[in-house]
Amino acid sequence: MRQLINALIKYKNTLVYLGLLALSLVFLNLRSFYHQSIFSNAALSFSSNFNLITHNISSYINLSESNKKLLLENEKLKALELERFGEQSLKNITLDSFGFEVSGARIIKNSYNRARNYLIIDKGHKDGIEVEMGVISSDGVVGIVNQVTADFSSVLSLLHRDLKINAGFKRNGAYGSLSWQGNHPKRMKLLDVSTLNTVAIGDTIVTGGMSDYFPYGIPIGTVLDFKKPQLEGYYDIDIELFSNLTQKEFVYIMRNNKLDQLKQLNNE
Amino acid sequence: MNSDNLISIFQFILLLFLQAFLLNNINFFGFINPNLYLLFIIVYRLDGNPTLLIILGFLLGLFLDLLTQGSGGHTIATLSIAFLRPYIAKFSFGVNNDIPMGMLKGSLLSQRLLYLSLVIFLHHFILYSVIYFSFDNIITIIKNTLFTSFFTFIMVYFSMGLFKEKND
Repeated sequence: MRQLINALIKYKNTLVYLGLLALSLVFLNLRSFYHQSIFSNAALSFSSNFNLITHNISSYINLSESNKKLLLENEKLKALELERFGEQSLKNITLDSFGFEVSGARIIKNSYNRARNYLIIDKGHKDGIEVEMGVISSDGVVGIVNQVTADFSSVLSLLHRDLKINAGFKRNGAYGSLSWQGNHPKRMKLLDVSTLNTVAIGDTIVTGGMSDYFPYGIPIGTVLDFKKPQLEGYYDIDIELFSNLTQKEFVYIMRNNKLDQLKQLNNE
Repeated sequence: MNSDNLISIFQFILLLFLQAFLLNNINFFGFINPNLYLLFIIVYRLDGNPTLLIILGFLLGLFLDLLTQGSGGHTIATLSIAFLRPYIAKFSFGVNNDIPMGMLKGSLLSQRLLYLSLVIFLHHFILYSVIYFSFDNIITIIKNTLFTSFFTFIMVYFSMGLFKEKND
């Protein structure tokens, strides 16, 4: 104990300096957006590498279980393939016509219990990922890329309170904006749909073509319940998502090849 | 509280306000603002308490950043130079590094100039490195460091003459 106190007294200048330096870095981080973005980028690449290690370990431990799951999925897919042999997939046609390019990635970190959730995926700008690309999974929309390092990207999850995406009805094309209220990870709200349109429980909701991130027609969910307010001209619709965002492993990232043309038009 | 401490407090406040409201608005050649407030760290007694100097340096930079809406570069630079000052003094003055007012009297001119330029150059280098914070801007950092250091050096050197008469 005495030695510890002696050491503290001996190095007190250095300790005071390091303490105040840490304080001033916090100060710097609070005051300057530029430094904030550099710090958060460094922190992101550090935590992504760390998460990759832990994820690799845990996925190795769960290997036999995921093997079983994959086998089951393979059987299902095989059955589907045989059933639809010769038929062209509708989804691919839509994707091609809108000039979207799709590439796969693996999720290495996923949160769904906060008000603002993020995912981290193992592809970065080395693999051609850029900010503001849309991310989907096999059964629905996942989110939008918001930060990219060399090997990793962070994705704003659909379960992020501030994210709004354009979505509409598959049946009649009426559209509104889809947002998450922060409660249940399978429930979202579709707002701003005009009451001129008819809505029925069980209607399918798909992405609307008016966003730059997603092509038209990716399935999102079904109408669970809706309210028609007396005074306003817009519905308040509850949606149940098709995809379960709490147990995803693989996602697809969509590059919009014609984004620059769209942006040009928007600017003019 | 003795008169040395009172003088220090007076210097601290005077230099802080002078820097924040007058010198930071000079913009000589568009980007040169001499940082005269370094004078506080330079003339602080060489045998003074180094821990106190670190804390005072931190406060000086922090207040300056708060008054001028700076991002925090002055805080880190001034804090670091206050921490490094004993080492710089030892390096420049050699065995004379414990003369209380070594910066003003009782040491060789060459030693003083070395000490002065080391403190000023290191301070500006840290300051601009923190402000630009990227390797791509290394040319801008060095350019700003050299030009501003030069003007700060001139101002500090002439101002020290004033302090000398007051303290003698």
